[in-house]
Amino acid sequence: MSSCLEQKVRLPLAFTVPKVFEDQRNEDSFHRSRKGVYALSDGASVSFDSASWARILVKRYARNPEFTHAWLAAAIAEFRKLYDRDSMPWMQQASFDRGSFASLLGVRMIDAGRLIQVFSVGDSLAVLCDGDEIKATFPLAKASEFTRSPQLLCTNPVQNAFLDKVDLNYDLVADWTFRGLEQPALLCMTDALGHWLLSHRDAEPSPISILRKVRTSDAFARFVKDERAAGRMKRDDTTLIALW
Amino acid sequence: MSYEAEISREHPTCFLFVIDQSGSMDEVTEAGRSKANFVADVLNKTLYTLVTSCSKADGVRNYFDVGVIAYGGQEVTTGFGGALSEGIVHPIQAISEHTLRVEERNKKMDDGAGGIVELKTKFPIWFDPKSAGGTPMRAALSKTMQTVADWCERHPASYPPTILHVTDGQSTDGAPEEVAEGLRRLSTRDGEALLFNLHVTAGGGSEVVFPTADAELRDEYSRTLFRMSSPLPAHLARFAGDKGYSVADGSRGFIFNGDPQCIVDFFEIGTRPKLVADR
Repeated sequence: MSSCLEQKVRLPLAFTVPKVFEDQRNEDSFHRSRKGVYALSDGASVSFDSASWARILVKRYARNPEFTHAWLAAAIAEFRKLYDRDSMPWMQQASFDRGSFASLLGVRMIDAGRLIQVFSVGDSLAVLCDGDEIKATFPLAKASEFTRSPQLLCTNPVQNAFLDKVDLNYDLVADWTFRGLEQPALLCMTDALGHWLLSHRDAEPSPISILRKVRTSDAFARFVKDERAAGRMKRDDTTLIALW
Repeated sequence: MSYEAEISREHPTCFLFVIDQSGSMDEVTEAGRSKANFVADVLNKTLYTLVTSCSKADGVRNYFDVGVIAYGGQEVTTGFGGALSEGIVHPIQAISEHTLRVEERNKKMDDGAGGIVELKTKFPIWFDPKSAGGTPMRAALSKTMQTVADWCERHPASYPPTILHVTDGQSTDGAPEEVAEGLRRLSTRDGEALLFNLHVTAGGGSEVVFPTADAELRDEYSRTLFRMSSPLPAHLARFAGDKGYSVADGSRGFIFNGDPQCIVDFFEIGTRPKLVADR
């Protein structure tokens, strides 16, 4: 077993850039707890207030990572308290009723990585690496899967009916470990970066080695800007949490 | 590649609804309502959905330009009233701000905790049913062509305009096919304008939905409308398939004698650009 589990204290690097650099509006959100819980959420831009919804989801997950139907109902109730529906003009009321949508990717690091529990709804991506090699990804495995419309958590409970058809503790969860890996690392990212990574997984230099060099917010912004300009990355809010 | 442009405030797309308001639209269908009344209802609901999909907590974003061209008797005019009656096409934000009236309706909703609550919901109306006179379809499509040409010139990089044409049949001012062909040839860099036709009828006949050929169509008017219709692009064909319709390679955006749900779906599928598909 690698000795790095005992030796290394992993401090996460977390970077985010908005879809439009000049705009600064960013509907991604991330949060972490002192107990080793990390959460990332990508708010869907075409919905009422996905930024607030994403923020509520990550804060709640970092505080309590036991995702259940009651957990989600409480998150929806918190969101609804932000607005006075009855006083809204019709178009905002209609959009509020339709719902706000966001992904949720949560990671629990237990015992310095002996167990890593990944929970995911939507198309944000978790990646387990050993050096520059990708060992596992969740919930998507191929770049082509990003073209499908993802199922996202919504503030309108009707839109969450898909959760009734899945086992929350099985279908939405992957269990990983750092055990046996020489240079283990864990990355969490929103879909634009996830698509970029899976599209280039066999490229040289490897996408992991490129991301490994990104150590500051400015470097991350430069990297995203260059990849967008080259047409290799979708223009979208883009967030990375990295535990190297 | 066609029909791939991202729809944004910088590059909006355009929806044009071309609505037959001729006298025969007052015929009552099997569902007990006039064709004009039903079409007006579906159009109001479609506009509501388009506005809703552009509305965020901080306002309405101009992802779409929308116009209604109404024709009946000798007239081809905008279908909008009030402040929207000047010009044909308006940004979706202007559409949201200028309704004819807002009605209050009750709607049942899931309360998120296993129960149902009844909520008062505001429902906007832009378009009232009308039906009188002949069917100047050729003139209406000529007006549409002019409107679409102007729009494409101003938005060369946008997802191309989609035209949803609703009629109960026979043009009374000449053959419309040649004009429709010209209309379908107008384009942006992302593809040619899409013309979809809905043939509503109280006269019976089997429902024909997104056909690939005109063999099943019983009269020359519906065959003409079939030929006037654009093939469904891949993403709309996929969405129609998801809704349970049988769609094949070469299926056209044409429906003959659809039931009420089919008519609702025609509007929903036709106004399903990438923006909404991706939420």
